Amino acid sequence: MLYIFCPHCGLRSQNEFAYGGDATVKRPELNKEISDQEWNNFVYLRKSPRGKHLELWHHISGCRQWIKVERDTSTHEIFKTYKADELTE
Amino acid sequence: MTVISALQNVHIEGSFGNFENKSENELLKIKELKNLLIVQIVQYKNSSIKIDDINFNNLKFVNQAQKVVSNENIRVLWNSPNNWLLVSHKKELLKEIYSTFNENDFAVTDLSHSKATIELEGPYVKEVLKKGCPFNFNILTKNMSINSAYNGISFIVDMVENEPEKARIFSLRSFGESLYHSITDASLEFGYKCN
Repeated sequence: MLYIFCPHCGLRSQNEFAYGGDATVKRPELNKEISDQEWNNFVYLRKSPRGKHLELWHHISGCRQWIKVERDTSTHEIFKTYKADELTE
Repeated sequence: MTVISALQNVHIEGSFGNFENKSENELLKIKELKNLLIVQIVQYKNSSIKIDDINFNNLKFVNQAQKVVSNENIRVLWNSPNNWLLVSHKKELLKEIYSTFNENDFAVTDLSHSKATIELEGPYVKEVLKKGCPFNFNILTKNMSINSAYNGISFIVDMVENEPEKARIFSLRSFGESLYHSITDASLEFGYKCN
């Protein structure tokens, strides 16, 4: 079982959290003309890296806040967690 | 109008499980708390009010994880940043809450009828909680609360006393009966008394 440090509540078990996807994906800017291809890439295209990955997690059974988690996808080691609006290194 | 409590169909008075040859003090006590005032208070993001400036019945709300501030009538549990749960036996406080927390800065929601509340008291409270929840309950002491999950059911634990251990647990009313069964099943080996 993974233990994730919630920046609001402290160290909690993974089963209090829900995985929320890649945290590096950026939504296209509002009112900007973009092609169908770009839109498709934003909605569907995801990398599947082996190693360090920045992820969104939702502390759904805890404080219900979204957080960012820097995790190694092969070893599951968690390096650092951030509040959702916090800038990552 | 008759008020139907959340656990009316499952909570039966009596002693159960491994209770024989044990004194009253050795048994875990399980009780349903009824007629509580439970109010969620959320401060809006764009609110400029400092929460420290608010004084409600001589209680200062604090934005600190796991912290419970209390007096003899009211307990205020930290839920998440800028989000608190106020619990009291005094139903008449609701009007005062609405007047203290103005609607431009706070969302006040009366959850009194949408929660099931169980009070556990006795020597095995933390052992029972540990059986279904991965939180490290050894660090949970008086006037601390957590939001977590018990056998998959989201719940709130409010530690009321250390000696003897006394905790209140809150869940959504619709999950109340399931949580109650989970708790009582976990309590069988210790023996428990429902009152």
